Amino acid sequence: MTTLTNILHAALTGSIGQHGEVAHAAAGAAPVQIAANGPWYAVLIPVFAIAAFLLCALCAAFKVKSKLPAWITVACLAASCGVSASVYAWVSSHGPAITYVFDWIHVVWGKDKGQSFVANFAFYLDTLTCLWMLFVTGLATLIALYASEYMSHDVGQGYNRFFAAFSLFVFSMACLVMADNFILLYLGWEGVGLCSYLLIGYFYKKPSAVAAAKKAFIVNRIGDLFLALGIMLCFVHFGTVEYKAVFAGVEEYIKHFEAGEFNKIPPVAQWIAYLLMGGAFGKSAQLPLYVWLPDAMEGPTPVSALIHAATMVTAGVFLIARTYPIFMISQYALHSVAWVGALTALLAATIGMAQFDIKRIMAYSTVSQLGYMFAGLGVMTSVGAAAHVFTHAFFKAMLFLSCGAVMHGFAGQLDLRKLSGVGSMPGWRIVGIAMLVGCLNLAGFPIITAGFWSKDAILGGAFANPHAQSIGWILLLTAGLTAYYTFRVYFRVFVGPQHFEPGDELHAHDDHGHDHAHAGHDHGHDGGHQSHSHDKAAASHDFHPHAPGWAINTVLAILAISAFVVILPLKLIPGELGWVGQMVEGSTARAVGHMEHAKFFGFDAHQAMMVVSSVVGLAGIAVAFVLHYAGRTSAATSRADALLPAFGPLANWAQHKWYVDEFYDFLIRKPLLVLAHLFHIIDQYLVDGLVDAAGYLPRAIGRLLRPSQSGELHGYALGMAGGVAALLLIVFLATTSW
Amino acid sequence: MMLFSLILAPLASAFLVALGPAAMARRTALAGTAVTFFAACAALYLFNWSAPGYQFEQSLPWLQQVGINLSVGVDSVAMMLIALTALLGPICVQSSKTAITDRVKTYYSWLLVLQAAMTGVFASRDLILFYICFEFTLAPMFVLISLYGSTNRRKAAIKFFLYTFTGSVIALAGFVYVAWFSSRLTPGIVNAADPSLLHEFPQLGKWTFDLATLEQAARLMSPAKQGWVLLALLAGFAVKVPLFPVHTWLPLAHTEAPTAGSVILAGVLLKLGTYAIYRFALPFCPVAIYEHAPLISVLCIVGILYGGLICWVQTDVKKLVAYSSVAHLGFCILGMMALNNTGISGSILYMINHGLSTGALFLLIGMIYERYHTRSMKELGGIAAKMPIWATFMVFFTMASVGLPGLNGFVSEFLCILGAFQASSAWGSPTATLPNGLPNAGLWGSAGAAHPGSTLGSLGPWFAAVAGIGMIVAAIYLLYMVGKVVWGPLVEPHGHDSHGGHGGHGESESHSVLPTDLCAREIGVLVPLAVLCVALGVYPKPALDALSGPVSDTVRVVQTARSNATIPADSVKEAAR
Repeated sequence: MTTLTNILHAALTGSIGQHGEVAHAAAGAAPVQIAANGPWYAVLIPVFAIAAFLLCALCAAFKVKSKLPAWITVACLAASCGVSASVYAWVSSHGPAITYVFDWIHVVWGKDKGQSFVANFAFYLDTLTCLWMLFVTGLATLIALYASEYMSHDVGQGYNRFFAAFSLFVFSMACLVMADNFILLYLGWEGVGLCSYLLIGYFYKKPSAVAAAKKAFIVNRIGDLFLALGIMLCFVHFGTVEYKAVFAGVEEYIKHFEAGEFNKIPPVAQWIAYLLMGGAFGKSAQLPLYVWLPDAMEGPTPVSALIHAATMVTAGVFLIARTYPIFMISQYALHSVAWVGALTALLAATIGMAQFDIKRIMAYSTVSQLGYMFAGLGVMTSVGAAAHVFTHAFFKAMLFLSCGAVMHGFAGQLDLRKLSGVGSMPGWRIVGIAMLVGCLNLAGFPIITAGFWSKDAILGGAFANPHAQSIGWILLLTAGLTAYYTFRVYFRVFVGPQHFEPGDELHAHDDHGHDHAHAGHDHGHDGGHQSHSHDKAAASHDFHPHAPGWAINTVLAILAISAFVVILPLKLIPGELGWVGQMVEGSTARAVGHMEHAKFFGFDAHQAMMVVSSVVGLAGIAVAFVLHYAGRTSAATSRADALLPAFGPLANWAQHKWYVDEFYDFLIRKPLLVLAHLFHIIDQYLVDGLVDAAGYLPRAIGRLLRPSQSGELHGYALGMAGGVAALLLIVFLATTSW
Repeated sequence: MMLFSLILAPLASAFLVALGPAAMARRTALAGTAVTFFAACAALYLFNWSAPGYQFEQSLPWLQQVGINLSVGVDSVAMMLIALTALLGPICVQSSKTAITDRVKTYYSWLLVLQAAMTGVFASRDLILFYICFEFTLAPMFVLISLYGSTNRRKAAIKFFLYTFTGSVIALAGFVYVAWFSSRLTPGIVNAADPSLLHEFPQLGKWTFDLATLEQAARLMSPAKQGWVLLALLAGFAVKVPLFPVHTWLPLAHTEAPTAGSVILAGVLLKLGTYAIYRFALPFCPVAIYEHAPLISVLCIVGILYGGLICWVQTDVKKLVAYSSVAHLGFCILGMMALNNTGISGSILYMINHGLSTGALFLLIGMIYERYHTRSMKELGGIAAKMPIWATFMVFFTMASVGLPGLNGFVSEFLCILGAFQASSAWGSPTATLPNGLPNAGLWGSAGAAHPGSTLGSLGPWFAAVAGIGMIVAAIYLLYMVGKVVWGPLVEPHGHDSHGGHGGHGESESHSVLPTDLCAREIGVLVPLAVLCVALGVYPKPALDALSGPVSDTVRVVQTARSNATIPADSVKEAAR
C-alpha cells in the first residue's frame, strides 16, 4: 500500500525525486548520477517470469490437461507487475540506480580502461526502465488472462507450450529493458526474437506459420548483426559495454554536439549510432526490414497483441531512447532515424489502406505507428515518441484483442468483406465498444483520446524542428490515411447490417496437436481446400458465432477504460506530456541542446498541430464514413469499390504490398540460393574434385609406367601430400614478402 | 597419475571389452567410460583453476637418447577438453545401444581406444607422445566409419584416413624441424637473442621433444623459418579443423559415420586440430602467425559463408550439420587469429560449445535415423507432431548452435567476433602502443581519438562484419532445417516400417525396440548436454576465468615476439657469429 501511495505521490506532485531536479537544473548535459545500490527486489521481475516459464515447462513435461499454466502465468506476471511498481516507487524517490545480480561474461587482460570485457547480469533502473517495465508487465498480465480463454481450444495440447513461451518472452523483455549493459540487452533482444519465433510458429502444422516464423527470425537477425557490430564498436571506442561508463564517455562529446561541432567528434563514435540503428529497424519493423511483421500475424492473436504490437516491436524505440546520447553525438543519425520512420509510416499506411484482412491492417498500422515513434525520436522529441509507445501499447493491444475476439468467435474469419455489424450482435457489445475506443485512439480523435495527444506531440515536434518540415508533412498525410483505414475497419465490420460468414477454422479447432487428416500428408493443396469449403458450406448453416466469455470481456473492458485513463497522467501532470514526459526527461532519453523552434505558417507548431491534426483525423474518419458506412447494405461491397478504378493500378499494387516481398525475394533470396547451389557444385566437383584428382594422378602415372599397378592407397596418400603441400606452398609464397 | 589413469582407464576397458563376451560388451564399455568420466570429474575437482601453469605433470622416461619422454600435464585449456572427451564417452556408448547390434565387441573396443587416444592428445607434454596419440585417433575412427557407417562408408573412411594422415605427416616434418633447430642451439645464440632465456634450456644442444623447451627454442627461429614451420603445421591441423579448402573429407565422413562416430568427430576430433593450432602454431611461430593471421582469417571467413550457404541446399540433415561444422569452426579459428584475450578465450570456449551443441544435433539426427532409416529432408517433416520431446530438444540445440544468447554458443561466438573486431593496429590505441616506442597513429583514430577497447592485431572490423554475416547464414540454414524436419505437416517416409536397402546394420531389429518418441535412455543422453549448454551460457565466468591465465600467456608470447620481430632473430645470430 505504501508503494502505491509513493507512486501516486510521485505522479501527482510531478516530482521524480532529487535526480530529476538535478538533471533539469544542470546546464547542458549533466551526467546522470547513478547509484550502485538499486533495490534487490528488481531481480524479482525477471525471476517471476522465468519461474512461470519453468513451471509451464514442467506442466508440458507432465502433460497437464487443464488451464493451470495460464493461471501460473497470470499470477507470476501480475507479481512481476507489482514488483515493477515498487521498483518505480523506489526509483522515483531515490533516483536511478544499478542492481547487480551476478557476473556473466568476463574477459580481463589488463587493469586499464578498456582492457577487460565485462558484461554482468545487472539492471539499470531509471525512469525509462520503469516506464517500459510497467506497461510490459501490466499488459502481459492482462493479455495472459485473455489468452487463458482465447487458447482454451488447445488445453492439454499446445496450451502449456504457449504459456511457457509467453512467460519466456516477458523474461527476455525484462532483460532487454532492464539491462545495465549492451550484452544483456542483446540477450533480451535475441530472446524476444526466439519467443516471437516460437509463438508465430505456434500452429506449426501450417506451412505459412512456419515460414512466417522463420522469416521473422532471419530478418531480425540481419538487424541483430548491426546491433552486435554497434556494440563491438562501442566497446572498442569506449572500452566498455556498460551504459554507465559509456554515457560517461559520451558526455565529453555532448558539448561538441551542443556547439554543433561534429567534426570534433571522432567518426568512430558517430558510427556506433548508425549500427545500433540497424538493430532497431529490424526489431521494430522499419524500412527496409519491416517485412516480417505483417507475416507475424500467423501467430495466435494474444501474441500479436503483446509481442507484435505493444511490447517487443517497441524494443527498437527503447534502444534508441536508452542510447539517445549516442545518437545525438552522431551527425546524421537522428535525421536518418526520422526519415526512415516517416517513410515507413507512410508506406505501411498505404498498404494498410488496401488490405482486407483486419489483422493484417492492424499489423500495418503497427508498422506505421512505429514509424511515428522513430520519427519522433529523430526530430528530437523523445518524450513524444515514448508517450506514443505508451499510449499505442494500450490501444493497439486492445485493437488486436478485439480482432482476436472476432476471429475466435467467427471461426478464424478476418476478411472485412465477410463480416458486418458485429458490434450490434448479442454478446458482442463490449468488443464493439473496445474496438471503437481503439479506433478512435489510433485515428487520433481530438482531445478525448490519448492517441491524439501522443501523436500530436510527434507532429508538433516535427514541425517545430527547422530541419524536419518535410517529415512533418509526411506524418500529417499519414495521420489522415491512418484515420481512414482505421475507421474503414470499424465501419465495415462493427457497425452496419448484420452479416457473417464463418472462417475456415470451423472444424479445425480440435486439430492443433492431433494427428489430423488435413494437417497430415502433403496431398494437393487444392484438393484439401475443396473438401474444406465443402465442409464449411455444410457446417455454416448451423454455425453460431460464440460470443467472448468473461476473461476476454474483462480484459477488453479494462483496456478500454485504461486507454482513456492514460490521458490523465499525460495531461493532468504539468510539463510536456505530463507523467511520461517526466519519466523520459529524468532518464538517458532526455533530448539536450537548444534548438530554435520553427513556426507552422506563423503559428507555434505545437499549438497549430492540435488544430491541424484534429482536422486531418476527423477528415479521415469522415471519408471512411462516407465510403464504407453510409448507404452500405451488404458486407461485401461499399461505395469505395466504385472509386477504385480512379486509382488505376495503384490500389492493386498497394494491395500487393507494393511487391516489396517479391522484390526482396528476387534481389536477395533467389541470388543467395543460386549462390548456395553454385557453391555446392563447386565444392563437390572443384574443391573435392581436385582432391580426388590429386589422389588419382599418381595412380594414372603409375598406370602409364606399370600396367599392373597396385598400392592404390599409397598413390592416393602421395598425391594428397603433394597436393596439399603444393596448395599451401603457393598460398604461402603468394603472401610472403621476402 | 591422474592423467595416465584417464588415458589408461578407457584403454584397459577396451581390452576387457575385446576379451569379454559380446553380450557384456556394451555394459563393460559403459562402465569403463563411466569410470573415466568420474575420474575426470575428480581431476576437475582437484585441478587448481586459478593457477595458469601446467598441473598433474608427470614424466616417465621412454627413449631418452633422443629426448623422448612420456610426459603429461594439463593447463586449464587441455583440462576442459579432456573433460569434454570424458563426458562424451558414456554418451556415445549409451547412444549406440540400439543402433549398433552387430560386431559390438569391435565397435566398443575401438570407441574406447579412440577415447584414450584423444585424451592422450590433450594431456601430452611431449611432442612425440602428442603425435602418436594424434595419429592414433585415425585408426579407430577409420574402423568405426568403414565397418559401421552407411552406404558410402568405404570411400568416406579411406578419404578421411588419407586426407588427415597426409596432412599430419607434413606437420610431423615441421615438428622434427623445430626439434632439430632446438638441438642445434648454442649458448651463444640464445644469449644473443635474450640472455634471460638461457635458464630455459637446461640441456642445450641435445635433442629434446619436451614441449616447454621447444616452445622457447622455436621462437628463436627467424620469421621466414617460422613461416615454413607454420605452413607445415597448418598442413596437418587445418585439414583436421577443417579450414576452407581442405574440408571436403568432413561432410563425407560425418554423413557416413555411425551416430557415435559423428558425435566424437564433431565433438572432439575436430578440436584436435584447433587445439593443436592453439598449442603449437601460436607459441612456435608467433611472428609468422601474426603476419599470416589475415590470410588464415580469410580462409575462415570463406569457410563460414561458403560452408553456411552450402548447408542451406543440403537435403540430407546430417550433411547439413556436417557442413555447419565447417562454418562454425571458421568462427573458432577466426577468434584464435585475433591473437588477443577476447578472441582466444572465445575460441577455446567455442571448442567446448561446438562439441556440446553439434554433438547433440548428431545424436538427435541419429535418433531419427534409427526410427525412419532416412535422413533426407524430402522424406521427413513435421516430426514435432509425433515426437514432441525430440522436437523440443532439437529446437533447443539448434538455438544453441545458432548462438542464441543465454545458451553456450553465444558467448564464444560473440567473443570470437569481438576479438577479430578489436584486433587491428589501425585503431591506434594508446594503451597498445608499440613496444619499440614508435608512434602508432592508426587509421581510424582520426581526430586524436583513443580506442581503449582495441588491441594490436592484423584483423579489424571488416573481418568481424563479414564473419558476422555468418550469424545470419547460420540462422537461415538451421531454421530451414528445423522448419522442414521439426515443423510443418507431418511427412514420414513411405512404409517406413519395412526396411529396404538402406545398408545399415542392425536397423531392422532396432525399430521395434524404440518407442515413437524418445525413450528414457535417449533423454538421459541429451539432458547432460542441454544442462551444460544452459550453464555455459548463463554462467560462463568460471570457464573464462580459468582460461584467462593460459590465454594471457599465449597472447603475451605472440605480442612480445611480434614486437621483437622488428629486430629479426636471424640478424642477431649473424652478429653473434
